[in-house]
Amino acid sequence: QSRTITGKVTGAGDGAPLPGVSVVVKGTTTGTATNADGSFSVNVPANATTLVFRYIGYVAQEVAIGANTSINVALELDSKQLSEVVIQVPYGTVAKTAFTGAESTITTKSIERQQVTSVTKVLEGLVAGVQTTNGGGGPGSNADIRVRGIGSINASSSPLYVVDGIPYDGTLQSISTDDIATVTVLKDAAASALYGSRAANGVVMITTKRGSKSRAGVSVNLRRGISERAIKEYERVTPQQYYELSWEAMRNNRLAAGLSPEAANKFASDNIGTSNGLVYNPFNVGRTEIIDPATGKLNPNAALLYQDSWSDVLFQQANRTDLNVNVSGAGDKSDYYLSVGYIDEEGIAKFSGYDRVNARASINTQVNDWLKTGINLTGNLSENQGNYATGTATSNPFYYSRNMGPIYPVWQRDGEGRFIQDPIRGGNALDWGGGTNAPMGIRPYAPNSNLLGTLALDERSMRRSEATANTYAEIKFLKDFTFKTTFGGNYYNGFATTYQNSQFGDAAADKGRSTKADTRTLSYTFNQVLTWNKKFGEHSITALAGHENYSWESRNVSSTKTGFPFPGTTELASAANITGGTSTFNEHRIEGYFSQVSYSLKDKYLASASFRRDGTSRFFEDARWGNFYSIGAGWRISEEDFLSADWIDELKLRGSYGEQGNEMTTSVYQWQGLYGLGYNNALNPGAIAENLVAKDLQWETNANFNIGADFRFFNKVDGTVEYFQRTSDNLLFQVQLPYSSAGDLRQWANIGTMTNKGWEIQLGYNAISTSDFDWRIDFNATTFKNEITKLPNGDPIVSGTKRLAEGKDIYAFWAREYMGVDPKNGDALYRADPKLYNPSSTAYQIIGSDTVTNNINNGVFGYHGTAIPDFTGGLSNSFRYKAFDLAVLATFQIGGTFYDSNYLTLMHRGAYGTHMHKDLLNRWTPENPNTDVPRLQNAITNQDGYSSRWLFDASYLNIKNINFGYTLPASLISKVGVSNVRAFASVENALILTKNPGMDPQRTFNGTADFTYPVMRTYTIGLNANF
Amino acid sequence: CEKEYLETSPNSEVPNELVFATTDGALVGLNGIYRFMWMSEDHDKFGQKAIDIAMDYMGTDMFTPVRGYGWYVADYNLSSITSATATSRSGYAWRHYYRVIFNANNLIANIDNATGPQADKDYIKGNALTIRAYAYFYLINLYQHTYKGHENAPGVPLYTEPNAAEGKGRGTVQEVYTQILADLSAAEALLDGKARKVTPSHINVNVTRGLHARVALQMEDYATAAVKANAARQGRTLMNATTYANGFSAHNTEWMWGLQIPNDQATIYASFYSHMDNTAAGYAGLGSTKLVAREIYDAMKDGDVRKTLVQAPLANPTANDYENYTSFKFRKPLTSSWQGDYVLMRAAEMYLIEAEALARLGRDAEAVTVLEALVKTRQANYAAPATAGQDLINEILMQRRIELWGEGFQLLDMKRLNRDLNRTAGDPKEGYHNAGLAIVLNRSIKDNAFLWRIPQTEIDSNDKMSASDQNP
Repeated sequence: QSRTITGKVTGAGDGAPLPGVSVVVKGTTTGTATNADGSFSVNVPANATTLVFRYIGYVAQEVAIGANTSINVALELDSKQLSEVVIQVPYGTVAKTAFTGAESTITTKSIERQQVTSVTKVLEGLVAGVQTTNGGGGPGSNADIRVRGIGSINASSSPLYVVDGIPYDGTLQSISTDDIATVTVLKDAAASALYGSRAANGVVMITTKRGSKSRAGVSVNLRRGISERAIKEYERVTPQQYYELSWEAMRNNRLAAGLSPEAANKFASDNIGTSNGLVYNPFNVGRTEIIDPATGKLNPNAALLYQDSWSDVLFQQANRTDLNVNVSGAGDKSDYYLSVGYIDEEGIAKFSGYDRVNARASINTQVNDWLKTGINLTGNLSENQGNYATGTATSNPFYYSRNMGPIYPVWQRDGEGRFIQDPIRGGNALDWGGGTNAPMGIRPYAPNSNLLGTLALDERSMRRSEATANTYAEIKFLKDFTFKTTFGGNYYNGFATTYQNSQFGDAAADKGRSTKADTRTLSYTFNQVLTWNKKFGEHSITALAGHENYSWESRNVSSTKTGFPFPGTTELASAANITGGTSTFNEHRIEGYFSQVSYSLKDKYLASASFRRDGTSRFFEDARWGNFYSIGAGWRISEEDFLSADWIDELKLRGSYGEQGNEMTTSVYQWQGLYGLGYNNALNPGAIAENLVAKDLQWETNANFNIGADFRFFNKVDGTVEYFQRTSDNLLFQVQLPYSSAGDLRQWANIGTMTNKGWEIQLGYNAISTSDFDWRIDFNATTFKNEITKLPNGDPIVSGTKRLAEGKDIYAFWAREYMGVDPKNGDALYRADPKLYNPSSTAYQIIGSDTVTNNINNGVFGYHGTAIPDFTGGLSNSFRYKAFDLAVLATFQIGGTFYDSNYLTLMHRGAYGTHMHKDLLNRWTPENPNTDVPRLQNAITNQDGYSSRWLFDASYLNIKNINFGYTLPASLISKVGVSNVRAFASVENALILTKNPGMDPQRTFNGTADFTYPVMRTYTIGLNANF
Repeated sequence: CEKEYLETSPNSEVPNELVFATTDGALVGLNGIYRFMWMSEDHDKFGQKAIDIAMDYMGTDMFTPVRGYGWYVADYNLSSITSATATSRSGYAWRHYYRVIFNANNLIANIDNATGPQADKDYIKGNALTIRAYAYFYLINLYQHTYKGHENAPGVPLYTEPNAAEGKGRGTVQEVYTQILADLSAAEALLDGKARKVTPSHINVNVTRGLHARVALQMEDYATAAVKANAARQGRTLMNATTYANGFSAHNTEWMWGLQIPNDQATIYASFYSHMDNTAAGYAGLGSTKLVAREIYDAMKDGDVRKTLVQAPLANPTANDYENYTSFKFRKPLTSSWQGDYVLMRAAEMYLIEAEALARLGRDAEAVTVLEALVKTRQANYAAPATAGQDLINEILMQRRIELWGEGFQLLDMKRLNRDLNRTAGDPKEGYHNAGLAIVLNRSIKDNAFLWRIPQTEIDSNDKMSASDQNP
């Protein structure tokens, strides 16, 4: 009597289901193969005792049947067959064992755990050597990526993105993560030099899915999520505290002006509630009776008549929907992959969101035995709503709601605190705090604005349509030769609307203002590559030569009109006055010739070399060509006879050196001396100097040295350890010339040298691997030191909050040193500049051994930390227990410095109208002389500004992703014709810990704050079904 | 492939060679400078008139009763010039004038090699030289005390060639004035007899002479001032009472130089009329009303058209009334548009310079004639209340404050006249400064706190400057 045994086979390393695994009753031919989802169902004779599982590339496993009716198996990778693993490299693929370069690859499994729209947000914490920003929480936003340090100072330090072999110019968030098979980060010269001209900052190669015989079928992914802010708002004072503190700021202002304490107190009590103070009186007592002049405390009879929360009305819990269906498979000669997807992602700021519809079709066919061809087409439509102002603009809802004083209401109130009816729109009238109808007065912060009102009426949107087409023909001839030509193009169209409504706010006086801008960008890459592949005896040689053209052009037209008679339409047709109209056209081209040779002896000794020569239209003809190259070598020690220890499965040493280029300056016409047009003087065309000529400008070069070891021991531990050293020379530099001589223009030049030296480690450990329970740990960490080693004449360059100097790093903070508070009078003190020190001036005093000044302008600048962290990295734990799986990814940064200008903004000295941080409650007063928060004093001068006071330790820990899944039993779902169903719940950014609550240190690489969308926490539930 | 593949050229910018190849091209470069003089980079930074407002706000005659939207509050309380950031008032002015100078130097250096009529070359060069002198005149007055008595004090870096990479030190005040005078003399010769190509923004010989008069007055060289002012105003006709009351926003026969700003080139909230037109829905109309100080108002006589352009004080103004002492001098022509010209120089100033210079030279009778010729057009029955000596000079100076109110002359005059800042605090409804807003009520004009700070970036990036070159 036979019985049925069901189960599932997965890979022990990543838990991915393995299809096509042979499942045979030991000693018989009875058996089956696993389905696309790794499941199997086999009838076994009653006397069967053992099942044997075999799969190419994996160690075969025998499992006793016993009384089980369900058997799950995790197969171990067979290190002896590691050569089966191929990785994506420029212009082809290569066996991992034969590769001499440094790369990291992440696969579908890691990508699909994370519920993010842009693939750029997946890499954080997964790839050694890669540092990322969190990209903020804006709908459809991208993270930024740096590979192995910071490569350039003024030119781009971003990696080159290559999608399916073609440099990518579209938006990264438009690539559906469901379509991505692998993301490979090429880190050293040997890996990336073939993209020589543009690979100085590493290459991120995205390879999309293709159909295969073993996975034919339909796959459906459904995900729903909700988002909230993962980083809380700063702690701020209450309305009562706010009034008292502002009173004190006004009183101290009068004291400083020479009034007696009594007169100053009276002045402040008389004025703080008036149009020269906070303007608004939210209390039930008269304007001049809010603060008791004798005590500076709130009148005990004063009660709040109203208190509105701007955050509550401007923000929402955001919904996210992500759906994807794909159909894939393959026949004997062709394979296909078709997918459609839809994402609808709301922002937590009201009226903001991103939605996208995307489709992909990839078809490859072997036409005959010498010709193979294929095409990969994508198209997507997306819409971003609520592209609100960023930075410190008051139309940025995050900045606005943070800094609006707590006494300013969203809705108008009468003297009793009652709502006022809006006679036109109905409902409660909004308070605009200014404009032509301002019954409550002119609000000192952001007057004549109400974002709840304007965000609903305004439109700030971007509608994109993008397409890529990628086709190739591959011809094999003369046995060992292959010729492949590829043509790939990107089309991008972005249509932006910026409309400010005609009823309220900024554009009300103009009866509405609308700008429509359309940008159309077309780029293509066309290459021809000839490859010769020959094996003779123990020698294996691959040689390649090719030519490539890259062309990019962008056209833009925009127009602005004012005078919109009908609320509700943003279209220019309805408006009367043209206030702006222009169009632009830019183009950029690169041409390159390249070749590469790889040699392997006995699959043990590896060597490679490449050369590329590129010319770019960005530079003048005498300077535009650059030569780039790499050499690499590898030694698979584990293949040597003298190292035949059983526990060593793989051990390879490899090293490489090479030079790549960088040409990414701001303008595509960077060498040319240019006058900017559009400076028309009434009806006469006008232009002014805009770009200073730079005929010598040439490629920035990046010399890249790498040495590393790949290993796998005991069939349990695998990993890579690497040391890298990058030297960026001839840095493309936007030199700050004196304002006076250069008229506020900067000059591009190749000057200076910068190095990035560091270590990275990537470790994987299969802690437990049994049929019921798997546990794998992955860890990676990176440390690097950046150093500027040469500047022109050795002169340091002050650049914003930093100073570039030889021996220092690019993000070293250059600030005056805050020395705390003078206990005598509450002045902020700074370490004095010895060059300015004047012993007879009252601006200076000596405290202990420190010479300090109460005038920030006399403070001495110095270095105070750097934004570059000591370590960054990630730790993943993946568990599977029977049908349940759980993965937790934590990312971290240790060290580094962050300039928290958001905190600075809230720690002002009593600027009327602007909210205050709770830390101001600890300000200096005669009763509280020992503090590090200076006294309050409205309109104080020469005391405040950027200094070391605002620099914080940037270390953080982020539980970036938790994903918990359950795979439904095959016995249950097979009845309805479904082969695999997994339900999951996931949380992104579950917990973020930082040193100063409220700050978001992961927003930028240079350690300066962003004022908009903080990173989001997203809770998702999802279902994946395969048919 | 072919070499042409990598030759790309821009279409939304033009190569320098094209601008300087012909006089027509250079004219485009010249027009760009004038446009730059009213380009905005922030709501209180829109070129020359933005700096003019700040210079008036630092004085006594123009003030606002309330904080309003907060723009210019830091200029009014004299703190915006104490910051060395690039975006502070002092940082902005520095960058603005040196941008003008760099562009002017480009034209001056290249125009001789351009193809085109010699007359056009002279015209363009004359314009560029005057514009350069204009920029240096403001720089030297903002970043240093007045000329007289400070001839050897540190000046501002002086460039006569467009050599972007090479910074210079501060030199002396005298060196800067020497260059200004040399430029003006050269420009006068080049522009003599040439009609302007664009009215009112281009500079003709009258403007060059007028600027020369302004400079000479500042230098207390009264003989030159009188001669140049007289020559400069030739051909211009003073406004009558009707045109005077029209709002100063469309150029007329009295204007010698101004910027014509059509609707599509207006800078909306970031504009002169936004801040100065108390009747429009800009920053002035929506909050910070610009008031005329009581001292000035009280000095105006009945029958003076200028008095009708100030809201007479009401004992009990209602919410519908304009604030007491509200100025109606500057009004943009249309409520539906931000179109409106900026005045940079008009004949009245020349009359005032000439009258003052003559009076200081002891030529009192001539001075009275010139003064009355001006003021009678504002107040028909005007007769100078004093006809000689210091009283006459005082009368001319008061007429100057009345006539040029809001046009950017306060700080320049306080400096050259050694007139300290003395703001009378009280109730703005009574025409007095609001002490809580003004912060600084009294300050000696010799106080170094009146010197604008040089932006830190200049000191950091200019080899020839160090921290000790910063203004104290």
